[in-house]
Amino acid sequence: MPRLLATQSHVVHGYVGNKAATFPLQCLGWDVDCCNSVQFSNHTGYGMDKVFGNITKSDNLNQLLAGLFQNFPHDYEALLSGYLPNADSVRCMGTHYTEYKKQNPKALWLMDPVMGDEGQLYVSEDVVPEYRSLALSADGIVDIITPNQFELEILCGQKITSFTQLKNALQFLHESIPIIIVTSCDSKLFNDEGHIYCVASMRDEEAYVFRIPYIDSYFTGVGDLFSALLLDRVYNLLNDETSNLKFEDQINDVLNVIQRVLRVTKSFAPDDVKSTMGSIETMKQMELKIIQSRDLYDSIPSKDCKFNSAIKDEKFMVKRF
Amino acid sequence: MTRGDTRTNAIKKALLIQSHVVHGYVGNKAATFPLQYRGWDIDALNSVQYSNHPGYGFFSGFQSSNKELTSVLSKGLIDAMKINYDVILTGYLPKGDMLREMGKLVGELVQNHHETKWILDPVLGDNGKLYVEQSTVQVVKDLLSDPNNRISLTTPNQFEMELLTDMKITSLECLKKSFHEFHKLYPTIRRVVVTSIILPNHQGEYISAFWDMTNPNTHPYYYVVPRIPAQFFGSGDLFTALLMDSMQEYNHMIEAVGKSLWLVIQVLKRTYDAQLKPNPTVIRDLQLIQCKDLWGKEWDEIPAVSPLEPLLFEN
Repeated sequence: MPRLLATQSHVVHGYVGNKAATFPLQCLGWDVDCCNSVQFSNHTGYGMDKVFGNITKSDNLNQLLAGLFQNFPHDYEALLSGYLPNADSVRCMGTHYTEYKKQNPKALWLMDPVMGDEGQLYVSEDVVPEYRSLALSADGIVDIITPNQFELEILCGQKITSFTQLKNALQFLHESIPIIIVTSCDSKLFNDEGHIYCVASMRDEEAYVFRIPYIDSYFTGVGDLFSALLLDRVYNLLNDETSNLKFEDQINDVLNVIQRVLRVTKSFAPDDVKSTMGSIETMKQMELKIIQSRDLYDSIPSKDCKFNSAIKDEKFMVKRF
Repeated sequence: MTRGDTRTNAIKKALLIQSHVVHGYVGNKAATFPLQYRGWDIDALNSVQYSNHPGYGFFSGFQSSNKELTSVLSKGLIDAMKINYDVILTGYLPKGDMLREMGKLVGELVQNHHETKWILDPVLGDNGKLYVEQSTVQVVKDLLSDPNNRISLTTPNQFEMELLTDMKITSLECLKKSFHEFHKLYPTIRRVVVTSIILPNHQGEYISAFWDMTNPNTHPYYYVVPRIPAQFFGSGDLFTALLMDSMQEYNHMIEAVGKSLWLVIQVLKRTYDAQLKPNPTVIRDLQLIQCKDLWGKEWDEIPAVSPLEPLLFEN
């Protein structure tokens, strides 16, 4: 049975961070070790004045991870990192994960460089160089990275307003990272406002573009669920003895699971609910229905996918320098 | 309809206040996955965050501050979020003042919300050794004796029952006496379950005893459970979580306890059989993920600990 270490936020109530990632991964058979970078009563979408709890001090985080890797120096097939509240905690996680990867080069590290979205940083600015140095490390320690377009721009130090710039950014990041999934690209890049685009690129392979329906509601935790499922599917791909699995199908599968979970989540909410930031009742209703989606996390064959998000003619090659 | 298919029912909500370990399955990590798989919406408030449980010989980590725990509970979950829990479980809270402050909040909450049940797992220690601050013992006694607290169930282990009643439990006779002493000291507690009791005259067996005083004229019962010759970590926390679920299903503790015990026994057996080392004496991690199929079972598919019968104590 595979074992994974996930370092990200913990909320007592609701489903973001480790709470969104853990149960689905456990249902898929993973032993999930959860290292919590914060303990908050609920996610910040309820309004900052409604969030109680503490961030894990970096000394504490450091001791926690040091003790963990001392006792379990070779136990993890995969590492996941997500939301970390400040530069110290990113550096601390990065140092320990890097050390583990050096001792265990076969382990798979998925780094979600959580910094912001749609032009807005929601971590302090000194976090940026920490993620840049991990993402651009010459040692190639991170295996999978899942930035949104804004985070990709930050990592590459350049705005992306055209398809060519997107390709250049991927090419730049592929120097150090083999698998890049850009979780949400500006639809203007594809001249199509009604959808979200996801671009999945594996070094030296064709990159794939996926078109995802846009659901007009405020969900939180979707990115965290995405990175958890992605790690599972990429792990299966890389350990696939039958060689039947394909990269693009695995991504499509993850996107399909997400769609199913969102559909279940919407089905529980009253019809007219369009949640808004700060409204407690609507925010509560839009918490991902992670528990009710229990039987939806497994892979389904791509021919049975209700929703096919891969755009067949939108493949492109990211050439190496 | 499979377990956890809650489309037709309101989902059950529980708040679990106990320890968190990054690695392994004790405290909240032992309780959460099985309960979630059985369809519970679990809010987990962690009193500590440790790398692993102390059974590994070495661990690192830290305790949450009293202020963090009380503000998350009272300002966050109660005042701001107004969550109605079906059950609140309090377990490992390692400091006396921490348990006192949290106990006060939970006590007030269940007084104001009669539909909320409080399960108090009086975590103090095991096998003759305390693993909380000494002052915690008195705090547990105070919480149990306060009639306003409306505690629905408490689940001490043998050592904790001995501490709470000031009696050693060395025979079935002593065990029965300790239940009566418990009832005398804490008359408003309606349900007590004591699992994994080891008695000199019961080699190779555990005794798990319980008394449901919600009906008058009832007596304590016990089950005799085969003992796997190894020390397990987290089995008590798992049992309490499963009992919390089975009590939603059964009014009678005989069934609720029996079926929860059966599930725990299966997990222990499977975990034991999966060990690579022959004849292990210490098993640090339960295989909770690998027992997923068990969590998916409906309670009526689960046998009571047949062929074991609930036994009445002799007069």
